[in-house]
Amino acid sequence: MTTVLMPEATIATTHTPPKKAKGGLSTTVVMTLVALLWISPLVLLIITAVRPLSDFVANGPLSWPSTFTFQNFADAWNIGNFATTYRNSLILLILKVPLGVFVSAMLAYALAKLRIRFGRTIMYTVFLGLTIPIYITIVPVFVMARSAGLTDSLIGLIGPYLAFGIPFEVLVLQSFFRQLPDEILEAARIDGAGAWRIFLTIVLPLSAPALVTVFILDAVATWNEFLFALILLNSDAHKTIPVGLLNFQGQFSNNNTGLAAGILIAVVPILIAYTFLQRWIVGGLTAGASKG
Amino acid sequence: MNDSPLNRRKFLSLTGGAALAAGLAACTGTGDDSASAPAGGSGNGSKELRLFTYEDNSTIDLVKAQVKQFDAQNGTTTTVDSLPGSGAAVYPDKLRTELLGGKGPDVWRIWGGQIGAPFVKAKQAMDLSSYYTKFGWDAKLNQAAVQGMTFDGVKGGVPFIVNGLGSWYSKAAFDKAGISAPPKSYAELEEMNAKLVAAGITPAGLGGKYGWDIMRLFEYLLEVSAGPELHDKLLTGDESWDRPEVVTAFTNFKKWQDQKWLPNGAVALDPADVELWYVQGKAAYTITGSWTEAQGIQAANKKSADFGVFTLPTGHTPERHSGFVEGYMINAKAGNPDMAAALLDFIVKPETQKALKVTSSAITGAEPDKATLPLSYEYSQSAGKQPFYTIQDQAFPKKQADQYFAVQSDVLQGKTSPADAAKKMQDVIKAWDKS
Amino acid sequence: MAVLTAPRKATRKKTRHGGLVAWGFALPALLVYAGFLVYPALSSLWFSFTDWDGLSAGYNVVGLDNYTALPSDPVVRQAALNNLIWAVVTVVAPVVLGLVLAVILNGKVRGKPVLRLIFYTPAVLPLVSVASIWGWLYNPEYGAINAALRAVGLDGLAQPWLGQDSTALGATMVAAIWLRVGFPMLLYLAALQGISADLYEAATVDGATRWQQFWHITMPGLKPAHYVVIALSVIDSFKVFDLIYAMTYGGPGTATQVMGTWMYFNVFQYNQAGYGTAIAVVITVVAIAVSIPYVRSQTKEHA
Repeated sequence: MTTVLMPEATIATTHTPPKKAKGGLSTTVVMTLVALLWISPLVLLIITAVRPLSDFVANGPLSWPSTFTFQNFADAWNIGNFATTYRNSLILLILKVPLGVFVSAMLAYALAKLRIRFGRTIMYTVFLGLTIPIYITIVPVFVMARSAGLTDSLIGLIGPYLAFGIPFEVLVLQSFFRQLPDEILEAARIDGAGAWRIFLTIVLPLSAPALVTVFILDAVATWNEFLFALILLNSDAHKTIPVGLLNFQGQFSNNNTGLAAGILIAVVPILIAYTFLQRWIVGGLTAGASKG
Repeated sequence: MNDSPLNRRKFLSLTGGAALAAGLAACTGTGDDSASAPAGGSGNGSKELRLFTYEDNSTIDLVKAQVKQFDAQNGTTTTVDSLPGSGAAVYPDKLRTELLGGKGPDVWRIWGGQIGAPFVKAKQAMDLSSYYTKFGWDAKLNQAAVQGMTFDGVKGGVPFIVNGLGSWYSKAAFDKAGISAPPKSYAELEEMNAKLVAAGITPAGLGGKYGWDIMRLFEYLLEVSAGPELHDKLLTGDESWDRPEVVTAFTNFKKWQDQKWLPNGAVALDPADVELWYVQGKAAYTITGSWTEAQGIQAANKKSADFGVFTLPTGHTPERHSGFVEGYMINAKAGNPDMAAALLDFIVKPETQKALKVTSSAITGAEPDKATLPLSYEYSQSAGKQPFYTIQDQAFPKKQADQYFAVQSDVLQGKTSPADAAKKMQDVIKAWDKS
Repeated sequence: MAVLTAPRKATRKKTRHGGLVAWGFALPALLVYAGFLVYPALSSLWFSFTDWDGLSAGYNVVGLDNYTALPSDPVVRQAALNNLIWAVVTVVAPVVLGLVLAVILNGKVRGKPVLRLIFYTPAVLPLVSVASIWGWLYNPEYGAINAALRAVGLDGLAQPWLGQDSTALGATMVAAIWLRVGFPMLLYLAALQGISADLYEAATVDGATRWQQFWHITMPGLKPAHYVVIALSVIDSFKVFDLIYAMTYGGPGTATQVMGTWMYFNVFQYNQAGYGTAIAVVITVVAIAVSIPYVRSQTKEHA
């Protein structure tokens, strides 16, 4: 019985397996091959990004480039207006994601551990947000933004972005929070800790992998969000990266090489951030915190 | 459309939708608080205008420069916002949301036919008849183009582009297949295709991912089998589609796929890719408009002299081709419609059109530059002066157009016989007539 | 058994509700959520009972006509079937693959950070690029997939994958799986950190094989994660819109229409906002119904 129940005690002893020095060689080989296959479609994107547009137009996407160039990146930087869109997307990310994760964590904590009244109703309501097709809400959202004078403004995006991120974040976080053993929280309460202190010093640190996961997923969603940005923003000065990528389209033909370069410019930072953040999910960096 | 105010109020009181009420009221002009707030982009007699367009990166600066000139002459301040992309893309969605939200642009660019029609039908766009009289646009603009911007008798827009479609081909491909001159009849076109296939070349580079592009072939086949008069009546639903001429067109359409005169699996190919195949040497020709010279041939660093353009032979008089119109509309709630109309009049001046580098202007005296775009110039002087029939994705509302494309797709895949396809089309058109 | 009953007692003691403190935690998120999502959604709901065209100022109330028209719309039937197939395939495949990857990448493999990056990368790409890339790969004449088939002598299998009704949905689902594996992988990786390494060490000492450890330690330990991953994936699959819209535009014909795309086409392209909204309502109701078991499991005293 113990083996079945123990996993519910989420915490504490987590650490990476000691010294992975050897071992797993065959697994490594297999995984490398699978990974190469997995990433291979992306080769097309990269090749497209490093060939001249004339070569692409003259020979099509599936030919080997006659020459290579990095000029596309410089051009794409200007066409996509990245100096501006980067700044705008980054501002949104910084304003929105931590705030969104934090308020979602609060609600998740209330649902998972504070036995909030109408918890089930709240859960269904939260699910409602996940299931509603965004498209039918854009006109009312636009009207709200207009009434508040917040069209064509980054601030106007924060409300809808928070709202549409909350359901997903709450569901994931409450699922993780539920796994925290009540004994620890109870012990803290007996020691005189209030709900806030328990939340900030026990619940959040113990849930670092879940928080980082949600943070990554939400950051990616925010970085790539297209519909609300498209509908609410007008001027070039306020556009975000996904809207800026439209600049590579034309009515009759697309600047495919520029677009490929632009996409790489757009996603590389998020991939770098992911590479660093994933260590917080799995790297055992949470071990210190779990002593709480 | 008649008992709405009551129901809307009821609904608003149900949902307590103050914000939505404000928005809808702003559009309708019937709400209580619309008087206080300017409903369109700008207030009455305002010197501020907003123009919304879908110019891409290559032309947006030209537009901004011209608009600046207008501003300098008139003491106005005009904001130009652009959202590049095609008719199937996001531009109409954005425009619609802004209009519904009560913050629409004063002036917007739009395609003609059934893409522009809903805006006029919903009375979001202004009836421009009085400005046509004031500025004498009827005399300056191509009349067929004006028709493309006239909806149920309402002049809802000012056209400035008429795109005529011709067959653009690679001379190298024709040489390789031993073809000396473009075809003069549909029979000759078929012979030409057979020669190309024999030489190992895919004849027509067309794709139907969004329905459009490949329909350019079908509408041509329909023009050939039905002739101008019947073709027009079919498009307006005045004649039944369940008839031999239509069956013939579908039969020929299937034949093109079966004989490999089209690329394998053409229905799912992205036209943006396939249209360039004649430049890339993967197909002999395509059916497209003059933009292909700059954006296809010259973008690939190839010489216009190595390519050519001919009108698809129909065997009828007049020898028509497919075409579509683009123009501008004015917001029915524009704060200063006179100024907005003045801006449009400025845009359709031949000098402005030339400065905008419009290659197929609806305005006489704004032909493409002969030296830089020889083929476009040649086309504008020959076929470009001929009458055209409305391209099928603008001849029908989107819903009927999509059903039409679905029928075409089924025919190409052999899932529907040409005879059944004609019957199905008649059902589609009948359902449209009723609504 | 002592272990089993201990937490029960603890929870019983505080079955009282959290009261104001709990609402203090819940309110910020709930207010934003209600204001920017629930309210706009509900205010749109009304249009499903009207014949609104999505652009005009006026409309007529038509009661339930839009809903009663749904079953006789052949595209709705096609879309519902496609949604069902889509849900099964794009839930099962990514979840299973994501779980396998998470377990492997949590164990003894070299280059784990790089591998984790690679399997997650597709999820970060903008959909425009995903659609173009797969469109090029599937190109019947020049695409890499048919080229590979011909290279290994399977010429007969080379076909216009996206260009015929029979294969278009399947071809789209392959791209969806590619795109979506990263999400369950990430959640499972996080959940795996919650399983004590001591368990594995004890099991190894007892002579349990890796396979036994997986079934008796890993899988039960991931139970809460399974719930949330599957619930989110199912909902995601019901809502599918962007990928199909970008890859096939619902075609050829209507072969790959799903409820999400059909809703979009009606609201925005066909000027049938009332009818399209009714479809949106149906999508929401079905997805909510599917979520009932999950919510019940999460709100029970102890799952």
